[in-house]
Amino acid sequence: MRYLRLIKYFMLSSAQADLAYRANFAIGLLNSLLNLIVGVLGLAVLFSQVNTLNGWTFASTLALLGVYLTISALRGWFIGPSLEVLAGIEGDVWSGRFDFTLLRPINTQFFVSVRQWNWFALIDLALGLGAIGVATVQSGGAQPLSFLVAATASVAVLYAILLIFTALVFWSPGLLFTWVFDAIMQLARYPIGIYPGWLQFVLTWIIPVAIMTTIPATALTGDIQPMSLMGGVALAVILFIAASVLFRLGVRRYNSASS
Amino acid sequence: MNHRGGWALIKRSWASWLQYRSFFFVLAFGWMIPPLIYLFVWTTASEPAPIAGLTPPQFVAYYLVLILVNQLTFAQTNWTVGDVIRMGSLNSWLLKPMSPLYNAIASEVAGKIVMMAFVVPVSIILAIVLRPELTTTPTQVVLCCVALSSAWLLRFFWGLWLACLAFWATRADALLALQDALIFLLAGVVAPVALLPSAMQTIARVLPFYYMVGFPVEVLTGQLASSEVATGFVIQAAWLIVAVVLYRLVWRSGLKRYSAIGG
Repeated sequence: MRYLRLIKYFMLSSAQADLAYRANFAIGLLNSLLNLIVGVLGLAVLFSQVNTLNGWTFASTLALLGVYLTISALRGWFIGPSLEVLAGIEGDVWSGRFDFTLLRPINTQFFVSVRQWNWFALIDLALGLGAIGVATVQSGGAQPLSFLVAATASVAVLYAILLIFTALVFWSPGLLFTWVFDAIMQLARYPIGIYPGWLQFVLTWIIPVAIMTTIPATALTGDIQPMSLMGGVALAVILFIAASVLFRLGVRRYNSASS
Repeated sequence: MNHRGGWALIKRSWASWLQYRSFFFVLAFGWMIPPLIYLFVWTTASEPAPIAGLTPPQFVAYYLVLILVNQLTFAQTNWTVGDVIRMGSLNSWLLKPMSPLYNAIASEVAGKIVMMAFVVPVSIILAIVLRPELTTTPTQVVLCCVALSSAWLLRFFWGLWLACLAFWATRADALLALQDALIFLLAGVVAPVALLPSAMQTIARVLPFYYMVGFPVEVLTGQLASSEVATGFVIQAAWLIVAVVLYRLVWRSGLKRYSAIGG
């Protein structure tokens, strides 16, 4: 309960900061709309030339894009901004401000994961859910329950991967691991089958971004296998534990910076 | 014009940028990804039958060249010039006994060389793995070099006049996001321009963005008839003149307004 109350306070204080820059709302709205328009137009160009892409129709690829946008929006809402404070350029680890984080009387991993909320990300969330809605109506046969389970597992996988990339900062503060991850995550906008074998292997087993979007998207279009749903959940649990362990090891390595 | 001082500046910027090479490698990696995605999208899509006469190995060649062209022409002026105006460090540029244009060119050259150190080896590896098919003639190579240089000039001056808008507005984020979206859709990244729906294709051939990226690529890969190449060069040159004029206008009137924020 105490932790829920803390999340509320973090949310409120972030909202206050966001509200101070109200002009940013218009820019945020424009950015989100552009992101959606660019994605949908990209699909429109592609499907004006072909009917299916490696077995994926326009509706199922749109579902995939919707899932990608939704998950990215959840990331941009709090996971990304919170972890960025820790590991970004001039972040806490870099500058040594992490000392003050360690001193707080709450779980460190909890605190660094939820301390910053970007409320403009809710625009992205609405647009992503909109794309999912349109795709679902077009294809029919969605399995809402499987989708919710799969989507939750995906967000957990994303959180765990981001935490792992963030924790690497304790070993090498100069490198921008999360930027590398950002770039790789874009590959999940399209069905994994279009990539060559070695890249599919990387995107499934090493940095499982493809799983994050593919499993929920197949739940939306109705041809999800029970095995892949369970696999997704198992992966989420394993990665979450691994990331927490790695984060703890990283924190133990931390030996402050400057004065 | 103080060319010797300018050259010294270029060398200095290069040396200082080289220190941050991992940062630029990560940036370059990020910029490579969208064209790379569409490389795979179109090679998969064209596997059953060629699309608009292009086979999978030809799509590979198109996108690998596009990755190189996109990196070479990428405009960095938003943060090398725009941020300098916003933060007020333009003061030290103005005090130097040479045109501030040299500062912009210096960071341009420095950044490009550092990024090429990453992009060229990666492209070579990709070419070995993905097996592109590129048939080109010496004439096309020469024409491509010309198209590429003016594409770079066009994108540089276009970025520069946009960056100079920082004299009036402290944030031009919205405009830059719009420009990125237009380049993605119309410059040949999402698909070679010939594959776009006809309305989009017409817009793409009129606006300057295609001439910043897609045009030099297609000159090299030989997807254009010679009349199309000629028209392309004319439109490219016209947009280049527009960009230079806009830059001169915006720079001069902006400088009059400039009142040095910070130090």
